[in-house]
Amino acid sequence: MSWLFEHGVAFAIVLPLLMAAAVAMLPRSRYLAWTVALAVVTAVTIAAIAVLLTQADAGEIVYRMGGWEPPYGISLRIDAVNAPILLLIAAMALASFLYAEPAVAAEIAPERRGPFYAALLLCVAGLMGMVVTGDAFNVFVFLEVSSISTYTLVAMGANRDRRALSAAFNYLILGSIGATFFVIGVGFLYAETGTLNMEDMRTILAAMEGGSRVSQVAFGFIVVGLGLKLALFPLHTWLPGAYAYSPTVVTAFLASTATKAALYLLYRFCFTVFDPSFDYVAVVLGYVVTGLAVTGMIFASLQAFFQTDVRRTLAFSSVAQVGYMLLGIGILTTAGLAGSYLHLINHAVIKGGLFLALGAMWYRFGITRTADLAGISKTMPVTTAAFTVLAFSLIGVPFTAGFVSKVALAEAAAERGWWWAVGVIMITSILALFYMGRIMMVAYFSDPPASCRRADGTVERREAPALMLIPMVGLAAVSVLIGMRGNVVLTHVSETAAQVLIPGAGL
Amino acid sequence: MILALPIQAVPTSPLISTLLLDLALLSLLVIVAFAIVRMRSLFAIVMLQGVFSLVAAAWFVTLDAVDVAFTEAAVGAGVSTVLMLAAILLAQRRTSYVPMKQQWGPLVAVLVAGAALLYAVPDLPAYGDADSPANAYVGTDYLARTAVEVDIPNVVTAVLASYRGYDTFGEVVVIFAAGLGVLLLLGFDGLAGTFRARVMGRRLSDPSAPSGVRKRDAGTEVVPRESDASGEGAT
Amino acid sequence: MNGDPHVLLRVIAKFLIPLIALFAFYVQFHGEYGPGGGFQAGVILSASVILYSLIFGLNAAKRAFPPVLIRIGMSLGVLLYGGTGVLTWIQGGEFLNYSVLAHDAIHGQHWGIIAVELGVFATVTSVMLAIFYAFGSRQPSIEDQDW
Repeated sequence: MSWLFEHGVAFAIVLPLLMAAAVAMLPRSRYLAWTVALAVVTAVTIAAIAVLLTQADAGEIVYRMGGWEPPYGISLRIDAVNAPILLLIAAMALASFLYAEPAVAAEIAPERRGPFYAALLLCVAGLMGMVVTGDAFNVFVFLEVSSISTYTLVAMGANRDRRALSAAFNYLILGSIGATFFVIGVGFLYAETGTLNMEDMRTILAAMEGGSRVSQVAFGFIVVGLGLKLALFPLHTWLPGAYAYSPTVVTAFLASTATKAALYLLYRFCFTVFDPSFDYVAVVLGYVVTGLAVTGMIFASLQAFFQTDVRRTLAFSSVAQVGYMLLGIGILTTAGLAGSYLHLINHAVIKGGLFLALGAMWYRFGITRTADLAGISKTMPVTTAAFTVLAFSLIGVPFTAGFVSKVALAEAAAERGWWWAVGVIMITSILALFYMGRIMMVAYFSDPPASCRRADGTVERREAPALMLIPMVGLAAVSVLIGMRGNVVLTHVSETAAQVLIPGAGL
Repeated sequence: MILALPIQAVPTSPLISTLLLDLALLSLLVIVAFAIVRMRSLFAIVMLQGVFSLVAAAWFVTLDAVDVAFTEAAVGAGVSTVLMLAAILLAQRRTSYVPMKQQWGPLVAVLVAGAALLYAVPDLPAYGDADSPANAYVGTDYLARTAVEVDIPNVVTAVLASYRGYDTFGEVVVIFAAGLGVLLLLGFDGLAGTFRARVMGRRLSDPSAPSGVRKRDAGTEVVPRESDASGEGAT
Repeated sequence: MNGDPHVLLRVIAKFLIPLIALFAFYVQFHGEYGPGGGFQAGVILSASVILYSLIFGLNAAKRAFPPVLIRIGMSLGVLLYGGTGVLTWIQGGEFLNYSVLAHDAIHGQHWGIIAVELGVFATVTSVMLAIFYAFGSRQPSIEDQDW
C-alpha cells in the first residue's frame, strides 16, 4: 500500500500503457478484453485516489522518472490543480468502461474489440500523462499518445455512420496542426530558457520578467495549439463531427475528458509557466481569449439550437461550455479561475452522463435525431430520467451541479465589474434552456411510434442494460449531489486549485 | 520524432563554407517546398517529399546533429516515402483542383504564423552561440554528466534512453498507437469496413450515411429528412 | 521462362537485402557508440523487408515475416520497454531508474539502455511493416505501370 502512495502517479500512467499492449494481443472473446480493461481502469482509479490523498497530505508530489532530478530527467508533478483532474479522468474512464461492454458488442466488429479496448486504454493513459507531467516536452508526447488513439477511435464510428471517417480525418488534420503549434511553442521556450522542466521555466521566465519576443511568440503558439485541442471558438470545427459520429462510448469519454485535459494545460501554461503579470499574457487572456470565449458561448449555443441531430446539439453545447471555462480564465482573478475549474469538473460529469444516456438510446432504438426521441420517456424511463436530471444541470437549474458553477462564474465576473459577462452567462443559459428544452419536449410530450406498442396498444418498455444504466444514473446522482451538498467540497477543491495557480487574489 | 538537443557546442564563428552550405541547403528546402505546393501529381509530391527529407537530413549533418539526420534520412526519406506510395495505390493519382477562394483561409493562417516566427527572430540567440540558454544550461550539463553517470560515448543515446527515457517510452507508445490504428481501421484480414453496428432493440432512425452514397444504394427506402449536415458549413 | 524483366533487380536485391538487414543490427547495437539506436535500426530492418516485398511480392514477404508475428512484435516492444521499468520498480527504484538493475549503477544503466533500445526496435520494425502490409493487402499486387 505504501508503495502505491509513493509510486501511484507513475503507476496510473504506466499500467494502462502496458496493459494496452497486452490487451491488443488477447484472443478474440466477448468478455476477456473488456474484463482486463475494466480491471486496469479500476486499478488506475484506486491509484488516482491514492495520489489525491498523498497530495492532500504533502501539498506537492514530485516523482522523478528514471531517478534523475529535474531538470535533467522528466519529473511528474502533482499539486492541488492536477490531482483532482487526474481522479476526474480516471473516474470518467471507469464510468465509460462499465458502459462499454454492451455498447462495444453492438458497435465494434468482434475481431476488432481487443485492439479497440487497447486504443481506449491508450487514450486514457495519454490524457492522464498530459495532466500529471511537469515537463513541457513530455506534455507533447502524451498529447500525441492520446490524440493518435483518439483519431482511430473516432474513425471506428464508421461502423455506425460513414461520416465518422471524414470527421476523424478532419480532427486528424486540425489536431496535428494544434500539436505542431504546441511543439513549436515549446521549442521557442527551450531556446529562451534552455530547459524543458515547467517549474524551471517558471523561475527563469520570472527572472527575465516575461522574457523577450521569443517567449511572446512561444506563448502565442502554445495558446493556439491548445486552443485547437480544447475547441476554442473559431478552432472548434473538428468537435461536432468527432462527437457526433464516433462510437458512443468514445463520445462519452472524450466529451468528458479530452477538452478538459487541454484546458488544464492552458491553466498550467498561462499561470504556472507564464504569469498574468507579463503584459502579453494579460492581453491575450483578458482580451483575445475572453472575446473568443464570449463569442463562442453565444454562437455555439445558437448553433446548438438549430441542430436536428441530438448528438450535434450536445456537441455544440460543449463548445459553448468551453467558452464558460475560458471566460473564467479571462477574468484573471482567483474567483474567476475557481469558477472555471468548478465548471470544468461539473461539465465533465454532466456531458459524460448525457452522452452515456444518449448512447443507450442509440443502443435500443438507433436514435440520432431529436424527432426520433418521441415518447422515449415511456419506452426508456430510467435513461430519460437520468438524461433529464443532467440536462437540468447543463442548463443550470438550482440544486444541480451546473447551477453552482455558473453562479460562481457570474459572481466572479460581477466582482471584476464585468456585468456584460454576467449578462452573457444568463443569455446562454436561457439558450441552453431552449435547446435542451426542445429535446425534453419531444421526449416527454410526444407519443411513441406505433412500432413501440404491443398489440393491445400499451407501450413496450425497453430499458437499457444494467451496465449502461449504472454509470449514467451514477453521474446524474453525482451532479445532483454536487448541487445539493457536494459544492462545499468541490468549491474548496476549486478554490485551492485557483490559489495555487494565482497566489493572492489576482487582479 | 526525436528530441533534438544541440549538445555539441558549435564554434562561435562558423566557417564561411558551412555558412554557404547551410544557405544552399535551406534555399533548396524552400524551393522543394514550393514545388510540392504547386504540384498536382501525388506521385511527384511523394517523391519530392522524400527529396525534402533528404535535404533536411543533409542540413542536420551540417548542424552536427547526426542522430537526427540519420533518423530523418531513414524515416523521412526512406520508409515514409514507401508507405505513402503504398497509400497512393489505393487512392487517385492526382489531387483535385482546389479553387483559390478556398485557399485564402489557410494562406492567411500560414502568413500569420510565419510573421510570428519572423517577429521572434531578432531576439533569438545568434546561430552557433555557445552561450545561448539552449547550449549553456542543461545541454552542456548532459555532456559532463553522461561520462560519469551513464558512461556511454553517444550522449544522444544516453539522453534519449536514460535521462529522458520516459519520453522515449511515450514515443514507442505513439508508434504502437499508430500501428494499432492501422490494425483497427484496415487490418490484415480484408474485413475492414464490412461490419455494421447493430441496434439491440428496434431502429427508429433511418440508418444515416452520407446522403449521396446512401440514396443511390438504398433506392427508395430512405425517406429524405431535413439535412443532417446543417451547421457543417463552417468546417 | 526467360521473359522476366526484373531478373537484374532480383539478383541484386537478393544480394543487397541481407546486407541492409545486417546494417540494421549494426545500427541497433552500435547506437551507444555512434549515431543510431532502436528507431533507426527498426526502420532500416523494415525497409529491407519492404524492399523484399516490392521485388518478390507481398505474399513472399508475409511468409518471411508473418502478420501474426507483427501483431505480437508491436505489443512486445512496448512490453519490453515498460517491463524494464517494472523491473526497476521491483528492484525498489523509480520507474526506468536503470541504476538499480545491477550491483553497479553504471552497469545497470548499460543493461537498461540495451533492453529499452530492443523494445524500441521491436515496436518500430513491427509497426512499419504493419502499416505497409495493411496498405499492401488492399491491392492484390503492385503492377509495373503503378510505379
